[in-house]
Amino acid sequence: MEFFVGRILPYIAAGVFLAGTCLRVIGWLRTPVPFHLTLYPVPVKIFGKIWAFASEFFIFRTLYRHDRVLWLLTLLFHVTLALTLAGHLFGIYFLREQFALFGLGPGASRQMSRILGGTAGIVMICSLGGLLYRRIAMPEVKRLSEPENFLALLLILAVALSGIFMYLPGYHIDLPTVRTYLGSLLSATPLSPPRNAPFVIHFVLVNILLLYFPFSRMMHSIGFFVIRTMLLETPPVYPTPANTRQRSVFAAKKVSPENPASSQTTFNREVEPR
Amino acid sequence: MIPFHVAKEKEMRAIGIEPVHGDELQGKAVKLIHDYRNLSRSLSVMLENCTRCGACAEACHSYLGTDDYYNIPAARAGLFRRIFERYCSWKGRLIGRLSRKNAFNSRIVGQWAEYFYQCNVCRRCAMFCPFGIDTGEITIAARNILTQLGIAPHFIVGIGKNELNTGNNTGILKPAIMDSCAFLEEELREETGLDIKIPVDKPHADVLYVPSSSELFTNTDTMLGAAKMFHFLGVNWTLSSTILEAANYGFLFDLDIMKRHNRRLRIAAAAIGAEMVIQGECGHGWRVARMLSEGANGPVTFHLTHILEFAAANLSKFRLVKIPMRATLHDPCNYGRGSGLVDAPRELIGACVEEFVEMSPNRELNFCCGGGSGLLMDEMKDLRMLLGKKKAEQISALQPLDYVALPCASCKAQVPLVLKHYGMGEIRTGGVIELLGKAMVMGSIGGNG
Repeated sequence: MEFFVGRILPYIAAGVFLAGTCLRVIGWLRTPVPFHLTLYPVPVKIFGKIWAFASEFFIFRTLYRHDRVLWLLTLLFHVTLALTLAGHLFGIYFLREQFALFGLGPGASRQMSRILGGTAGIVMICSLGGLLYRRIAMPEVKRLSEPENFLALLLILAVALSGIFMYLPGYHIDLPTVRTYLGSLLSATPLSPPRNAPFVIHFVLVNILLLYFPFSRMMHSIGFFVIRTMLLETPPVYPTPANTRQRSVFAAKKVSPENPASSQTTFNREVEPR
Repeated sequence: MIPFHVAKEKEMRAIGIEPVHGDELQGKAVKLIHDYRNLSRSLSVMLENCTRCGACAEACHSYLGTDDYYNIPAARAGLFRRIFERYCSWKGRLIGRLSRKNAFNSRIVGQWAEYFYQCNVCRRCAMFCPFGIDTGEITIAARNILTQLGIAPHFIVGIGKNELNTGNNTGILKPAIMDSCAFLEEELREETGLDIKIPVDKPHADVLYVPSSSELFTNTDTMLGAAKMFHFLGVNWTLSSTILEAANYGFLFDLDIMKRHNRRLRIAAAAIGAEMVIQGECGHGWRVARMLSEGANGPVTFHLTHILEFAAANLSKFRLVKIPMRATLHDPCNYGRGSGLVDAPRELIGACVEEFVEMSPNRELNFCCGGGSGLLMDEMKDLRMLLGKKKAEQISALQPLDYVALPCASCKAQVPLVLKHYGMGEIRTGGVIELLGKAMVMGSIGGNG
């Protein structure tokens, strides 16, 4: 069991996560966008487009304008999620002494790291609670919610709770051991995982989350870019400039309006040449 | 319950579609879903990324008006998503082997026909969705699949057939077009005393004007306004009897018909030798011409502009006497969100009437009137009044009001009914070019065309 969880599962999870996510995104991108789906108002200049993208990605502008409560909850959740992920990366690699790079003493850096990490974790748990409450308390949203929406929220909540558990006295995890273990996974020479119950639970839950990710709505983190790119496309210019790339085969298929009732259609039947 | 009269099999065959029966239904539908998925990226991405947060509910005039759960955009898309995931996702195909849940059957056909024909494809939900999911794209996909299965409204199929055969919605042929134009020319002569022409199929014209065919019969003031404007500016223009319709109903139920009708535009422009095509007051028609022409039929060789843009660009040349009225502007969805045509109508109305007031919300966030996407059939009138409830509330807040400017043929058919239904029948409605025509002083310096 320990062998499977500690030395096999992480590789399966990482493999499924990477391959599944890539396959799905490639599947989206391989399909053509036959028509301009530009949604106005659309900026034409490149900086305007960058701002439109960035303001949606970093501060969720649409939600800010139209649904302030949902905006606050999701923003808190996503920001603390990003902070926590960065915190894991740097905190484990530098053993919580990353802030020493900015001139803090090693002790102060460890203190700072604990405070920041703990706060982010608690805020994340609260915002997840808020999002869950919203799904239960608002009749429209309750009816819209599907089991998978709750599953995703509960799974992330469980990961966060098991993570924050390690802050409790008596359950502290020895960071150098964790770093050694994760390093062994990365170098493909897996050691046995640290013997600490909250850590093992946290680790297994993260693996489940990674396994589930490509099949879940959490793919919206990438779908966001695919959709926004379509909506922000610059509208066409007429007459069409030479060397404009053909958008899809739909445009090239020949039909003749003079002969409408012939049984040719462009997207599911054979097309006779004009 | 399907809210419209379904087209008969004979009618479907007339537009080249063989209806599907019984056992073939599921297999055909699954193939169509896969085909559409491969045709357009929007379908899979927009179905697969919705997190069901509910931000779209308050955006949709259809849900706000009918209070029907399945008219929440996310729920509407959910009707498609269940089926889509069953046949197109890894998870769904696995579960599909074990259970018959969510299989495509005649019950799903009924559900889709009911709810995808209560969506006006106004795209307001895309403005509210944090990811920008456009339920209109899903609606169009679902309607296309239904059409290929042989299910479409009698009303829309009839128009599609007319567009295929004659190039206009009403199915009129050249002699009738000439008659109407002669009649309108006579009206212009009585009104202005000038010999203002409405040319049809005039060779070597510079400008091809593509109106809504209703401008020849019901919304004639719009055509009169356009003719006066072209005359005043001395534009060498013409109508074409092969495409007398800016509207393109194919866009709303069969992309193949959309492609063919759109193709008429370039054939007519080439036949006349027109370098510029001006589209008349039609909402979705403008979106199709402006945004879809290149994707539907490849590179476009002419300049394309909208009559409102054209008029606004020439605004300083007109001599206008402001009409004493308090008017507001309804932004057709396909102008505001669909193609960014929001400033030109405001400049024109501002110059033509004494008092112009904005409704709230306006511009890109304006509500749909409830008549978009081809739902103008009589049997859906009660439902359409519910879809138009938000519009009525918006207009009612601006009372007392004399005029609602509606630069779209569908809105021109829908809003007067809405106003009457909600007790505001005394407010007049009409186009923006109509206002321009009425405010314009022709004088003797007139045009030379």
